[in-house]
Amino acid sequence: MTCNNQATCNRVHRRSMIRQTVTNPLINPKKELAVYFDNVTVERDGLSILDGVTASVPKGSCTAIIGPNGSGKTTLLLALLKEIPYRGRIIFNGTKSVPRIGYVPQRLTFDRGMPLTVNEFLAMGFQKRPLWLGLRRTLQRQSRELLALVRASHLVDRPLGALSGGELQRVLLALALGQEPDLLVLDEPSAGVDFQGEHVFCELLDDLRLRRGYTQLMVSHDLATVTHHATHVICLNRKVAAEGLPQLTLTDENLTAIFGVHMGLVSSRSMPEQRAVCSAPCCQNNADD
Amino acid sequence: MIDLSPLYALIAQLLPFECMQAGFMQQAMAGLLLLAPMTAIMGIQVVNFRMAFFSDAISHSAFAGVALGLLFAMDPGWTMPAFGLVVGLGIMILQRHSNLSSDTVIGVFFSGMVAFGLAIVSRDRSLARDLQRFLYGDILTISDLQILCLIALFIGLMVFQTLSYNHLLYIGVNPALARAHRVRVAVQQYFFAGLLALVVMFSVQAVGVLLVTAMLIVPAAAARNVSGSAGSMFWWALLINMSSVIAGLIISAQDWARTATGATVILVACGWFILSMIVSALRRR
Repeated sequence: MTCNNQATCNRVHRRSMIRQTVTNPLINPKKELAVYFDNVTVERDGLSILDGVTASVPKGSCTAIIGPNGSGKTTLLLALLKEIPYRGRIIFNGTKSVPRIGYVPQRLTFDRGMPLTVNEFLAMGFQKRPLWLGLRRTLQRQSRELLALVRASHLVDRPLGALSGGELQRVLLALALGQEPDLLVLDEPSAGVDFQGEHVFCELLDDLRLRRGYTQLMVSHDLATVTHHATHVICLNRKVAAEGLPQLTLTDENLTAIFGVHMGLVSSRSMPEQRAVCSAPCCQNNADD
Repeated sequence: MIDLSPLYALIAQLLPFECMQAGFMQQAMAGLLLLAPMTAIMGIQVVNFRMAFFSDAISHSAFAGVALGLLFAMDPGWTMPAFGLVVGLGIMILQRHSNLSSDTVIGVFFSGMVAFGLAIVSRDRSLARDLQRFLYGDILTISDLQILCLIALFIGLMVFQTLSYNHLLYIGVNPALARAHRVRVAVQQYFFAGLLALVVMFSVQAVGVLLVTAMLIVPAAAARNVSGSAGSMFWWALLINMSSVIAGLIISAQDWARTATGATVILVACGWFILSMIVSALRRR
């Protein structure tokens, strides 16, 4: 293995010592966990969707759940959000209390004919006074700041129903950030965003996570994005197939086992060697230290 | 009992039409002016939640409510709203805990209620005539006691809407998103369903079973066409419904019209709706 500088070299060697394992808090109690899925099982009409999923989300990490269609990625998020019944336990921060969760759904299904401005949309969860008595000044300012954060200031007075997929995604992210989440949950953050926009979106998320210190949990089918931005990966296919650092988890044999043969092509362009040149903040700041 | 005559005198003064000098007209106007804001505001959420069919089912359970009253020799004026409340909450519970789609759940309730009402009524020929009152509504026979009930309901509803308007809107956008934002979706939905059931049952009195849903939907739909924000939609719906009931009642009492009050009110509201369609079409050009 060649190393171009000492720091990278150390990191690579340290990584190679860590076997690809499930970070079980009982085995590794030092590692702080934001979420621990303990044997989570979801069945619908007798059909098993998730089968004894045990996985962890390290605190402060950018954890990605990957897997093919129908592997239960979104279902796992819905269980986390208590939207669907499940068996097993989901433990937050080692306690039972639920942290503040900011949720950015994959595609917000809503009635686009509803008269509602972006400004109102961002304020309605925070403002006690009914909207028909007007928006509070402080909340108007907060909405503008949140939109500036996701680089969408120009959308403030638009009707929510007139936004494009990418714009809506940004507004939803602004709403989630406004809740000052301990855990930010994103379902396919790049769906509906064009390729260029997708990359910007992910860098934006990395940047915000490092500044604000929340834990990010996202579902993605896009391996290039994952290898670029995730610090922890959970490979899901109804069960946890593999879990750990992306470099160690996204191996050819793992990917082939989950996705089938053709995915080897995708993985080849996003393997560890190429990660060293990635400029995203998360690549300089790995979860293993 | 509280004396409502100052209220009637005020109505007669504010609306100095010849027809408004009769006591029953003043009572009818008081009833309608209390009902109009309630149906306008609840209508916004009925449209947002797509609950038009739900309110239809409640209004049709009026038959069964009356029938139950007759069966147990109780005043139908009380059994009807009480039964509506039970049906509304029942549908909500079933909707939340069943895999069936909501229109299927409501459809089952709907037909069950109507069949039950008709079965009881068909046993007694003389009752069938009484039922016409509920089909077409009869606001002109509203009593002081009913107006007092409406005032109480109005106060309760306004308190609820002041506290919950934003959260109901949030749920209307997307319930999962609202839940993640710590909105207590279930509690809000049950309160809403219960209040809606009561409002619908009182509206049956005014405009009849067949037109109740129109009183909820039409002003909200017209308001949707002309307003650009959730705040202004509220005021538009209010304005449209209030003006519709005032105009509707007065027109229906004119010699040249002599139409049923409920139907006239809805027709005026539909006129507003057509106007709103034109406005929104012009705006889009």
